[in-house]
Amino acid sequence: MLQLENVSKSFGKAGVFDASLRLEPGEIVAVLGASGSGKTTLLNLVAGLTEPDAGRIFLGPDDVTHQPPEKRGLAYVFQDHALWPHLSALDHLLLVMKKPDREAAHQLLERVGLKGLDARKPHQLSGGQKQRVALARALAARPRLLLLDEPYSALDPVLREELRLEVASLLRAEHVSALHVTHDPDEALAVADRVAVMDGGRIVQVDTPTQVYTRPQTLSAARAFGRLNLLPVQVRQGQAQLNGQAWPVEGLQNGTGLLAFRYEDLQPGPQGLLARVLAVYGGRGERLSRVDLGVGEAVVKLHAEPEEQVRLAPAGKLRVFEADG
Amino acid sequence: MNPRPTLGAFWLLLSLGVALPLLVLAWRGLGDMAILPGVLDLAGVSLLLALVGSLLCLAVGGGLAWLAFRARLHPGWDALLLPAYLVPPFVGALGFLYALQLVGLQPYGVGGILLAWTAHYAPIAYLLLRPALESKLAPLLVACEVHGVTGWRRVRALLPPLLPALVAAFGALYLTLLGNFGVPAVLGLPAQVYTLPTLAYTRLFSPASPDPLGEAAAIGLLLGLLALPALLLSSQPSGEPSPRPLRPRLVWAARIGFTLFALAAVVFPLVGLVRRALFNTFTGAFQPAFVTAWELPLVRQGLTNSVLLALLATGLLLLLGLLMAPQRSAMKHLRQVLDMHYLLPGTLLALGLILLLAPTPLYATPWILLLAYLLNFAALMLRSIEAGLEAGIERLVEVGKLFGLRHGWAWWKIGFPLLQPYLAAGVFLILPLCMAELTLSAMLYAPGSETLGVAVLSALNGGLFREAAAIGLMLMALSLLLLWVPRRGVA
Repeated sequence: MLQLENVSKSFGKAGVFDASLRLEPGEIVAVLGASGSGKTTLLNLVAGLTEPDAGRIFLGPDDVTHQPPEKRGLAYVFQDHALWPHLSALDHLLLVMKKPDREAAHQLLERVGLKGLDARKPHQLSGGQKQRVALARALAARPRLLLLDEPYSALDPVLREELRLEVASLLRAEHVSALHVTHDPDEALAVADRVAVMDGGRIVQVDTPTQVYTRPQTLSAARAFGRLNLLPVQVRQGQAQLNGQAWPVEGLQNGTGLLAFRYEDLQPGPQGLLARVLAVYGGRGERLSRVDLGVGEAVVKLHAEPEEQVRLAPAGKLRVFEADG
Repeated sequence: MNPRPTLGAFWLLLSLGVALPLLVLAWRGLGDMAILPGVLDLAGVSLLLALVGSLLCLAVGGGLAWLAFRARLHPGWDALLLPAYLVPPFVGALGFLYALQLVGLQPYGVGGILLAWTAHYAPIAYLLLRPALESKLAPLLVACEVHGVTGWRRVRALLPPLLPALVAAFGALYLTLLGNFGVPAVLGLPAQVYTLPTLAYTRLFSPASPDPLGEAAAIGLLLGLLALPALLLSSQPSGEPSPRPLRPRLVWAARIGFTLFALAAVVFPLVGLVRRALFNTFTGAFQPAFVTAWELPLVRQGLTNSVLLALLATGLLLLLGLLMAPQRSAMKHLRQVLDMHYLLPGTLLALGLILLLAPTPLYATPWILLLAYLLNFAALMLRSIEAGLEAGIERLVEVGKLFGLRHGWAWWKIGFPLLQPYLAAGVFLILPLCMAELTLSAMLYAPGSETLGVAVLSALNGGLFREAAAIGLMLMALSLLLLWVPRRGVA
C-alpha cells in the first residue's frame, strides 16, 4: 500500500534520514518516537506537504515522490483537527467526497457518534466531537491511506482511550490502511498492527508492538515504550556480572554495556540477587517498588514493603546494549 | 531553462519597476544638490520635529497602553482613542486650528504641529505597544508579583524584554511623522514653519524658483535619507496575547487617562470644527456652511474625483489581493517590494511620479493619481491578506488540497470565504484613506483632477475657513466609519 525507500529530508541536524517502511493494505502502523524524532516530518513527506531530498515514496504501484498532496488520494487527521471554521460537520464531509452524497455523509457522521450534529460548525462542538468530525471527514474522502498525527493528544485521558479504540476498530472494519504518529506507547500498543520506532530521524525498528516491547533491537527502541530500567554492567561470554551473580543475556556478549529490563522482567526467586526495597508506589492496577540491587537502583513490579529485603531474578533472557547504542 | 534565475530576474525587474519613481527622484535630486546647504537648517527642524513628535506619541500612547494593560481595561475602551487616529491628520489639524483660536491660543507653528501629531499618532503607539505588553510582559509581570520583585528591580526585569517593541514603535512613528504633510501644511505653512514635505511642496509650486522640480527632488532625496535609518528598525512580531491572571490595578487612572485623551484629541478639535462650520465667525449666528461649501465647484469636483479614485483604487487592490492570495510567497515578495511606497514618505512617490510621467499623456490626469494611490496603498491590502493567511487560512486550504481538492476549488470553497473579514478590513482601511488623501494629491493634482483634500487646502488658502471646516467635518464623519472595521493585525 505504502512503500518508503530510503527517504531523507534534512532540516540541518533534524529531519528524516534514510527511512524505509512498507505498509500492507488494511494495516495500521504506529510511528512511535520522542519529540523531535522526525515522526511528523515522516508523515508530512508521505502527505506531500514536504518534498524529500532523496528516496522514493510509492502509494500502491504509483511513485508519488514528487506528486502534490491533492493527487495522492490521502486523508489526514490532525492533532488540532484543522477543521474549516465556516463549514458545518456535514459540509466537511460533502466537500471531500469525490461524489457528494448527503445520505452517505449522514450515515458516516452517525457511525462516528455525531448523530444530530450535522449542522454544527466547529466552534459549536466539543474537543472530542471536533476530532470525530475530523475522522469522519478523513473516512468520507475514501483515502488510499489515512494519516493520523497525534490525533488524541489534546483530549482528556478517558476520551482519548475511548476514541482510539473506537477509531482503530472503525479503520479495521473499513479496511483502511493508516499511518499513526504518536509519542504515547499505550496508544501505539492499543491501535497498531506494527510499530515503527523513530529516533534521531531514523527508523530504528519496525515490528509488532509486542516484539518491540519485549525484544527491542536498539536502546532507543527500548526507551520508546518506557517502563525501562538501565544498569551499567560487565558482560563476559554472554553473562552479565551482578554482585557475584551471572545472568545470561542477549545482545552484547563481552564488554561493558547497559542491562535493559522492564518493570515486570524481574521476579522474586530464592536464587536471585538480594535487593532492598526503597519505596513503593501504585501504578495502573499494579504495585511498583523502587529497589536497590547493590549495583544500582531499579523499578520493579513487586508487592513489598519499604526496607524489605527480597531476592530478584530475571524471568527470561535480558538484553544488554552497548553503552552508546 | 532553469526557472530560478528567470524568477529572480522577474522579481529584480519588478522591484526596479516599482522603485523607478524613487530611483528617478534620487537621480534628479543628485543633480540639484547645490540647494541642499540652504535647506539643511530646515532639514534639521524637520528631523527634530519628527524625533520630538515620536517621543511625545510614544510617551502618551505608551503611557495609555501601560495603564490599560495594568487596569486590564476592556478593548471597548479603545473606542475612545481610535477616532483621533482614524480622522485624517489634516482634518485633525484643522480642528485644532479652530479650537485653539476659540480659546485665544496661537495655533500655528511648532507647538501646534506637535500637539496635532501627538493627538493623531499617540493611538498608533498604543496599538503597537498594547499587544506587546500583553504577550511579552504579562507573564513576566505575574512572575514579578508572585516573587515580590518591586521598584527598580521590577523595571530592570520588565523593560529590556519590551525594548525591541519600543524601538520598533519609535521607528514607525518617526517614519510617519517625518513624511506627514497634512499637519504641517495646515499648521506650519501659514507661519512659514517648514518640514521637508511641505518645503518640497512649496518649492515645487514656487514661481520664483528657476528649477522647481529639481529643487523639490533634492529635498525629497534628503527626506528619503532621513527616513532610511528608521526602515532598519524592523517591526517586532507581537505574538498572541495570552490570558493571564493579572489583578487589575490603576483602573481609575486608566479610565481617566483614556477619557482625558478623548476629550483633548477628539472632542476639542471636533468642537473647533463644529463651531466654525455651524456658526458665523463674526455674528455668532447659527449659519451652517455646508451648503456654501457644497456650492463651491472645487468641492463637487473634489468629491467626485475622490469617490471615483477611492472606489477604483480599492477595487483594483481587492482584485490584486484575490489574485495574489493563493500565491503566498509571490505575494510576500510583492508586498515587500511595495512596502517602500507605503513606508517611505508619500512626497517621494509623488515627486518620483512627476519626474517619471511628466513627459507622458498620463501626467496632469486623474490616472496619475490612481497610479499613485495604487502604489501607496497596495502594501496595506496585501498586509491585510497576509495577516489572514498567517492566522491559519493558508494551512486550512492546504488541508483541503490534501483531501484531494484542486488548487482553485480549495481556494474558492475554503480560502476566500475565510479571508472575507481580512479582505473587508483591507477595503475599509484603504477606502477612507483614499477619500481623505492629501500628500499625494496635493502634489499630483491638476485642474479637473482635484480631490477633497486638495479642496480643503484650497479653501484654507483662499480664506474660506468655514467651508474648509464643513468639508473637514464630512471627512471626519466618513473616517469614523472605520470604527466598525474589525481590526485584524493590520499595521
